Amino acid sequence: MKIQSSFWLAIVASVILSACSTSVERLDAQQQIDLSGAWNDTDSQLVAREMIEDSLSRAWISKFVKSEGKDPAVIVGRVKNLSHEHINTNTFIANMERELINSGEVQFVASSANRQEIRDERADQDLNASEATRKEMGQEYGADFMMQGQINTIIDVDGSTQVRFYQVNLELISIKDNRKVWIGEKKIKKLVKNSKLRG
Amino acid sequence: MHKIMFVLLCLLSGCAAQHNNIKLANQLQQEPPEKILSILSEKEPDQSDFAQYYLNLGYLQLLSGEFELSIDSLLKAKNEMLSLQATSISENVAAGTVNETFRRYSGYPTDRVMVHNMLALSYLFNNGIDDARVEMLQADVEMKKLAQSDSLNGQLASTHLLSAIIYELLDERSNAFISYQLAEKILKERNISLPRGLKLGLLRMSDKMGNDTQYQYYSKQYPVLSKLKQVRQKKHQVFGLYFDGVVSNKVQQSLAVPSFNGKQIVRVSMPAYTSVQHRDQHNQINDNEQKINSEVVENVDKLVREDLDKEYPSILLLTTTRAIAKYQLVKEAQDKDPILGILANLATIFSEVADLRSWNMLPATIQFSYLETDADHIVVSTNHQGDSVVELAALKQHVILSTGLSDKVFHYEQ
Repeated sequence: MKIQSSFWLAIVASVILSACSTSVERLDAQQQIDLSGAWNDTDSQLVAREMIEDSLSRAWISKFVKSEGKDPAVIVGRVKNLSHEHINTNTFIANMERELINSGEVQFVASSANRQEIRDERADQDLNASEATRKEMGQEYGADFMMQGQINTIIDVDGSTQVRFYQVNLELISIKDNRKVWIGEKKIKKLVKNSKLRG
Repeated sequence: MHKIMFVLLCLLSGCAAQHNNIKLANQLQQEPPEKILSILSEKEPDQSDFAQYYLNLGYLQLLSGEFELSIDSLLKAKNEMLSLQATSISENVAAGTVNETFRRYSGYPTDRVMVHNMLALSYLFNNGIDDARVEMLQADVEMKKLAQSDSLNGQLASTHLLSAIIYELLDERSNAFISYQLAEKILKERNISLPRGLKLGLLRMSDKMGNDTQYQYYSKQYPVLSKLKQVRQKKHQVFGLYFDGVVSNKVQQSLAVPSFNGKQIVRVSMPAYTSVQHRDQHNQINDNEQKINSEVVENVDKLVREDLDKEYPSILLLTTTRAIAKYQLVKEAQDKDPILGILANLATIFSEVADLRSWNMLPATIQFSYLETDADHIVVSTNHQGDSVVELAALKQHVILSTGLSDKVFHYEQ
């Protein structure tokens, strides 16, 4: 009788413990998973890819190559988060940088934060590196265009149902004369229905 | 027998946690937030009180200047409240048969909006104005979700005012103007006199936007302030926020009566707020030329009472249902064995406790003041905490947060 009750106790305990344990499943980074309906990595990658593809397919790039005889050098500036969510715009910027560099159609210049670190390194080399390996100041590649933008949202709520509308606007501005050579826009609309019941 | 003892022990531990929480909130009136924070930090929250614990913890961390920790705690509370907006059948069954503390704390409408205020302030004083703006947008969505045509429940003037300040700092003039207007609308509906700073905000923003119709309207409404506004623009804008006192705690009101046949005791317990006449204390901002007193923009003590009033019908219904269920349980136990019946009756009496949980460390009132000055420093004075000098340096816009609970003054400038 005692053995039987201990057996049942062990069964119940293992069921309870298995319910409490953490499970981890490795996923493909490209796999689309939406949990809360908020802006996620899929949105970030999708928008970056589509917008950069659009920007590189427009006439400004061929006009620049024709007039200057070289590929344009681009830098990604600030993308302002004006949305309802705490969006890490750095990952979005990183996605855009990757798409731009991998396109092979533009030169890409490091961001201002990266540049400062490199300048510090050059200043250090100026003092400490041998003459043969030292890199000189004043040899930086100046960008021709800066890409800037913003993420906006409109949220419409009715009870447990929400329509989330995201609009990402990007602009490519000529650093030489402030001309806007490309304006891109990408919209995402999501219908989020939250359950009215929980466990 | 063992089961009854187990249930009683669980209930007593839950009861003790609530008792401690109420004691700490009362202590906050006399002792600095840092001390209460150190006591609260040592405790582990019950799963059912998770949101309440982190709301209080986050608020105390904000008042102690630990902004990153405050953001972390308040986000935990916000996400918990969000996840509990759906109804749980098992929790409702437990609440309808044992007591309401078996339900996880999902926050009252005031909590669900106020958490965005506290998060926005934490982000702002942590130099994250863009994140503060996000919180204000989320608060706006939350208020829209809670909006009802016949009630102001869940509609906070302080949230709109804070939104207006943040938009003004970001030079989003039309958004700032709309937020000042929304704050004005709620205050008028609540019969709270409009703070001078809010009237100036309406004049300033309508003028900056070039909205002549609205500017003329507000100039007629507030002619004295309109003339004041026309004087040369000064070097600094100071937005002062002041948290006064601590909001009221709930109390338990119980009634124990013999059943109609006299065979058992039936006990019901309901939460309530006692009528406390809160005497507002105000702070003062002084630049040697002007002395500006803070004015109430949110009576939080009144809001929490409104929250409970709104919940009252459902609490009453659940309490009655529970009393019937407990009566039946005791009757069945009595039919089996009179001793078991007595024990069951004792268990139902002891288990009948009211849900006294609330965000009970919030300020009793939130107050606002506005000052334009050329001075390079101002003095912030409160009755309890004395004077604090705030250097204004070369930057133009300043947000100052002070409280009657400590001598700390938080300063954001840009």
